[in-house]
Amino acid sequence: MTVEKKEVRIAVTDGMLIPSSKDKTLVSAWTISLCLAIGTILYLCITQPKPYYEILKFLPDGIIVTFQVTISAIFVTIPIGLVTGLGRLSKNRAINLIASTYVEVIRGIPLLVQLFFIYYALGEFFQLPDLASAVIAMSVCYGAYMGEVFRAGIDAIDKGQTEAARSLGFNPRETMFLVVLPQAWRTILPPVGNEFIALLKDSSLVSILAVSELFRRGREYASVTFEYFEAYLMVALIYLLITLLLSKAVSIMEARLNYYDER
Amino acid sequence: MLKKTLLTLLAVLMTANLAFAAKPIVIAHDATWPPMEFINAEKQIVGYSVDYTDAIAKELGITVEHKNVAWDGIFAGLANGNYDMIASSVSITEERKEKFDFTTPYFEVKQAVILAADSAAATLADLKGKTVGGQIGTTGVFVAKKDGGVVTKEFDEVGHAVEALFTGRIDAAICDDVTAYDYVLNNEKYSGKLKVGFIVEADEKEYYGFVVKKGNTELLNLLNKGIEAVKAKGIEAELREKWVGK
Repeated sequence: MTVEKKEVRIAVTDGMLIPSSKDKTLVSAWTISLCLAIGTILYLCITQPKPYYEILKFLPDGIIVTFQVTISAIFVTIPIGLVTGLGRLSKNRAINLIASTYVEVIRGIPLLVQLFFIYYALGEFFQLPDLASAVIAMSVCYGAYMGEVFRAGIDAIDKGQTEAARSLGFNPRETMFLVVLPQAWRTILPPVGNEFIALLKDSSLVSILAVSELFRRGREYASVTFEYFEAYLMVALIYLLITLLLSKAVSIMEARLNYYDER
Repeated sequence: MLKKTLLTLLAVLMTANLAFAAKPIVIAHDATWPPMEFINAEKQIVGYSVDYTDAIAKELGITVEHKNVAWDGIFAGLANGNYDMIASSVSITEERKEKFDFTTPYFEVKQAVILAADSAAATLADLKGKTVGGQIGTTGVFVAKKDGGVVTKEFDEVGHAVEALFTGRIDAAICDDVTAYDYVLNNEKYSGKLKVGFIVEADEKEYYGFVVKKGNTELLNLLNKGIEAVKAKGIEAELREKWVGK
């Protein structure tokens, strides 16, 4: 007698598009910060267009590069993280050791040093384009952290799920990809969103490789005009604005994923 | 009576304090610019500008203290009062003169373009569309940007730009001629592999000056007096011979 295998899908699209906020307070820290950031930028650009509006006009291509680096790094980080996470859970000793060693080594080296290592040290043997070096260094670094996120998410799924799937005749691979992972996603996604925000902030380190991202653009502006306070204030506000919007997106996603748990 | 003695004593002590505790003048260098200012094997800040300021101090009978600072914030640090002056191969430009005060020039420079030894470029026009690296906020980068035909890449340190040229990431590096010659002649790793391709023709001569905070005329006059003495005594020529050679 054969058991029919159905693909399990966890719907995460039910319910309201943007869940009603649980905290009933009218003013949250997030709202205050957002109003502060937008308000300050507008106020400065309107009251003192020179230098602030000039600086603002100088930065957009840097913002684009910042997103390019971050998004490319995310796409490389997620597979690395998934492989590492599964490797850390593997019963196979060799695979487990390799994955664990990778996490240990990478977590023990500062990202800035890794960037220099890949760009300048390995540059003696082969050259990667700046953006590629930046993306690889950040992905290798964040892949280790992401691996831990995946491992924790998979660990959080009840053992009974695996046992049930196995007794229904799923093989270990099917169990992982059809039963465990689709459920683990709900635990994994929010921390992945937070890693995404951390990645975006750390992409400012890439400016050391002479990649003209947001922070570098600010530095370039300041190096010519000597308007350090103005340039770095503007850069800080823009980073703040971006991360605030992203963190909101993460919390909305979190609420939608928990839709079933809250009914 | 006792009160009087104490007061006198106090007065004496205070004047003595003023005489003995003359605060050293703190000089900022970005020690990544051989042969002008760099860190030697003994981890000391050395170079032409270091010796030059020491000579000035000796002539004037003042004490100085050398401090290594990253170029990127060197002007901000002066404006914020973290040190008294900058002696770091700072070219005198109109934009900088608006914000800071410069001494009389102590060195003349030209902008030199470093190329791979097998490159045939002879002007910036020959490098059209190619990537030229330099140090952020330096006259070399300004020149490359003004040219408009080349893609400018701004590194934190000039050494990074030279290394990037060496590994083939960029097509040329631009910096002050003294530094360029130092990299291609005195550096074992680069000599033979890199060359000073050409000097960028400029309309105006470019000079290094020491930088002080806007309005610090007291220190400015002191330094100008020192520079004059160092030039008159032939010390400048000696230092040139020692660090720059021909």
